[in-house]
Amino acid sequence: MIIIVNPAGKVTREGLLNINMPWLCAPWPEAREEGVCEAEVEGDTLRALLTTLAEAYKKAGVDFEPINPRTNDMDEDYDVLVNDKNYVTIPDGLNAKLKDGDRVKLKILWRWDG
Amino acid sequence: MLDRDELVRYDRQLRIPDFGEAAQKKLKISHVVIAGVGGLGCASATYLVAAGVGHITIVDFDVVELSNLNRQVLYWEEDIGAKKVTVAQKKLSRLNPTIEITPVWAEITEQNASSIISGAQVVVDGLDKLDARLALNAACIRQKIPYVYGGVSRFRGMMTTIIPGETPCLACFNPEGPRGLGVIGMIPALIANLQALETIKLLMGQKPSLAGKLLRFNGNDFKFRIYDIEKNEACQVCSQGLLS
Repeated sequence: MIIIVNPAGKVTREGLLNINMPWLCAPWPEAREEGVCEAEVEGDTLRALLTTLAEAYKKAGVDFEPINPRTNDMDEDYDVLVNDKNYVTIPDGLNAKLKDGDRVKLKILWRWDG
Repeated sequence: MLDRDELVRYDRQLRIPDFGEAAQKKLKISHVVIAGVGGLGCASATYLVAAGVGHITIVDFDVVELSNLNRQVLYWEEDIGAKKVTVAQKKLSRLNPTIEITPVWAEITEQNASSIISGAQVVVDGLDKLDARLALNAACIRQKIPYVYGGVSRFRGMMTTIIPGETPCLACFNPEGPRGLGVIGMIPALIANLQALETIKLLMGQKPSLAGKLLRFNGNDFKFRIYDIEKNEACQVCSQGLLS
């Protein structure tokens, strides 16, 4: 599976307008240079992708745990969309199979209560 | 100049070598606005008053309700139905009568945010709505006043320090997230005390610890996570000057 990333984590007029997690943009050097990184994903589901990403970020020193080990579901700090649809609205949710060209968007959920 | 009572009252912090009388005098002539005196604001106001910040403006449009009492520790059962800012002013003045506390009973909006924060050295977030926070954020950027964001829900909290012209602002992230999820009272107390500490550092002239960084605390696993965050060059609030 090839994962396309925003390599520098920068947001420009030409780039993403609503980047939510700039620190998650390719913290490993080769991805920053090439703008694209490749990762071997065991399985073809959304869950497998997120698990692989979490492991990759962990190796790069970024503590990113989108799947809560206690609930085995998305952690409440994050949301994930596949082709602009929230994962809870697609059949099979996190276990949905991904196909070529699917666009997965990860968002951090901010805290608003006081 | 610190008088005899002040030297005694603040003795424990005056003993800190990189604090001392110089920092205490800076606090004494400082003005901080606390926007919202709910779970966050009650705790940050208490500790900033106790520390000796000379002038504190507290802003809120709400009245005390029974459901506030699990976390908003300035309010007691006898205060139910009273304006939060009135009760908070009374209690905070009893804690430290040397502090000037200005209560403002108002909801923060785009229209009034600038006038409410005018003259402050730091604005501390204690709000519970995104639109009010964005109004406050924009006013702080316009007036070049540091804004210490804090937000909580359930067992978790977040915080960042926004320095106009230097760090990302709240609008840089097009932030999203649900509200009204409930919260355990220790979480706003924890986040608010970090906000208060950051405010003291700003007032002392020290480098803030969370400028350009986002702190997230998860009370489920007791992990603090701190991430670098960068300005959004397309931000309509803080980066307009950079785009043609």
